[in-house]
Amino acid sequence: MEIPYIVEPRKDTGLNNSKIAIWLFLASEVMLFGGLFSGYVFLRIYADYPWPERTLPVLPGLINTFVLIGSSITVVFAWVALKLREWRKFQIYMSITLICAALFMVLKGVEYNAKFGHQAIRLDDYTVIEGHAYPQEEGGDKKITKNLNIQAEQIQIDLKRVDDKYYETMGAQYGEHFVLAEDLTLNSKTKYEKGTAISKELIDAAKKDFIDALANNSNVNIAVARQASKDAGNQPELDGKRYYDKDRKDFIAKRTKELKAEQEDNYQNITPALTFIAKEGAVDISVNPRWGKLSNPKEGEKGTLKLKDETLISGTTADSSITMRVDGIDFRHTVMKAVEKGIDPEAAINNSWLLKDQSMKLIWDKHLVFVDKLQNYLDEHDKEPTDLDLYRITWQEIAGLMDKDIEDLEKMDHHEIAALFPGDIEGFAGANHTRVHYPKINVPREQVRFEAVFSPRWNTYYATYFTITGLHGLHVIGGAIVLGYYLFFGRKMYDANPEWLANRVEVGGLFWHFVDLVWIFLFPILYLM
Amino acid sequence: MADSPEEIKKHVKLYMLIGVILFICTVLTVAVAKIEWLDFGARGFDAIDMVIGLLIASVKATLVALIFMHLNHEKKMIYWLFGMGIFFGICLMVITGFAFSDPIYYEDFFGR
Repeated sequence: MEIPYIVEPRKDTGLNNSKIAIWLFLASEVMLFGGLFSGYVFLRIYADYPWPERTLPVLPGLINTFVLIGSSITVVFAWVALKLREWRKFQIYMSITLICAALFMVLKGVEYNAKFGHQAIRLDDYTVIEGHAYPQEEGGDKKITKNLNIQAEQIQIDLKRVDDKYYETMGAQYGEHFVLAEDLTLNSKTKYEKGTAISKELIDAAKKDFIDALANNSNVNIAVARQASKDAGNQPELDGKRYYDKDRKDFIAKRTKELKAEQEDNYQNITPALTFIAKEGAVDISVNPRWGKLSNPKEGEKGTLKLKDETLISGTTADSSITMRVDGIDFRHTVMKAVEKGIDPEAAINNSWLLKDQSMKLIWDKHLVFVDKLQNYLDEHDKEPTDLDLYRITWQEIAGLMDKDIEDLEKMDHHEIAALFPGDIEGFAGANHTRVHYPKINVPREQVRFEAVFSPRWNTYYATYFTITGLHGLHVIGGAIVLGYYLFFGRKMYDANPEWLANRVEVGGLFWHFVDLVWIFLFPILYLM
Repeated sequence: MADSPEEIKKHVKLYMLIGVILFICTVLTVAVAKIEWLDFGARGFDAIDMVIGLLIASVKATLVALIFMHLNHEKKMIYWLFGMGIFFGICLMVITGFAFSDPIYYEDFFGR
């Protein structure tokens, strides 16, 4: 079937149909991204934490902007080449466009990777520390351990909520160590004696029994209710009474009670949870922190680890601290909370848990020296330091100052100290931990208010960052697929009617320019503001 | 596009020029954010920086839309379609903006 008006314009619109279609689509895209941008604005205005402004490394974003603008130019040139019937030139320009698209996505991948590898912890006093989490014992396996650990004595499994994914992973740790605390007799008459080891079969059988019993009992209840209602209908003295009349209600309540007593044998036992105890002393159990929560994170004290499927693992809390190399310290949230409570911000910082650590205190003292020099410099220019200057220690600052003596720093001026900081290329997508061994700290779990990598989980800034740039990245991929199709499979179309392909490339190019247009706003908003 | 090959050839230089302007504007955006003596208003990010940043971005976006997307000489229909998209996009932001006057933000809201 021939599609009409793909090259020649329609009389009523004066345009070919594909062009109308792409502009309609772009109009809907404007509204989609407009909604996301307005979401960003409102999340930022109402943020209840200091917004992480100018927090992303600018260089990858800047290169990506160049790459996208460059590809916008080459896609126009590819279209021009087709209009002038220069197939070879079209191939060259379109290839460059696709290489740009690939480069953009690679850079985005580098950025995303750096974010997902970067640990952040909000401490109990709202101090934020950033860095890389490391194994408890370095040199061993490189797997990051920030698990919740407990020496378990008892496990209670909620049969209503128990989740196969959780049980199958945890089951390896439960092993044969845990046994039934009491005899269990299922409604199917199957018996499990006290001391039977925990197993998937046992859990599944008990779960099935529990669900069957619930279903059976509710069926009996429904039958009872129906019978009671029927009996009420057969009572001459209740003739004409409606369901809300007291007499009728009383009769039904009484009759239901009687019928339930009659049906007693048909009801089944409901066992909602199974309790298992450790066979020979406490067993070490280690859980991904996203799977559960420790009721008492303090090491050596009694506590319960509650998994998301309501499994309760009780025992003694074991060391669940997070060891990390710190490449960023942010006291802005601490200061914000202190100001809210009317406490002196400096006092709040000095009393913070983090500064009890000697290496962290030293970094803070060096930072204060730098801030002092900065203050003097800004005074000359009638400017004030920002909260970021005062309360945030960047990875550049830590890398530049950690090996310097505080006495030496005091002799330098602001510019000399700033010159010690590493440049943008060294930390292309964030602090580079292979070059600099940032100071190490061990954060006990009870000091952790919230921890996450720089993922959408960490805060609303990263949530919007990943949503909008992710969606934009999908647009880049989609656009590249369409433009790549014209490059690799367009020859047939070109031979049949070159104007047809030119129109297609123009329409694909319009989408590509739109993708560039979105990035033109995204770059300053996410990287520079 | 009803452009003849001769007209299109003439446009090539314009496309190059716009490309160069876009690159310069990008460098400028970063410069006003990163270079201290180009930082208008107070130190660090503030309202003036936001206005300047968004202004440069708007200029860039306008150039892309007018020249690369040929909106400088397009049929009426397209202006209507895209204009409506932008109009409703802005409406969306304004309507969300009414959240500012939500009584839940009145100080005595929970007191009553």
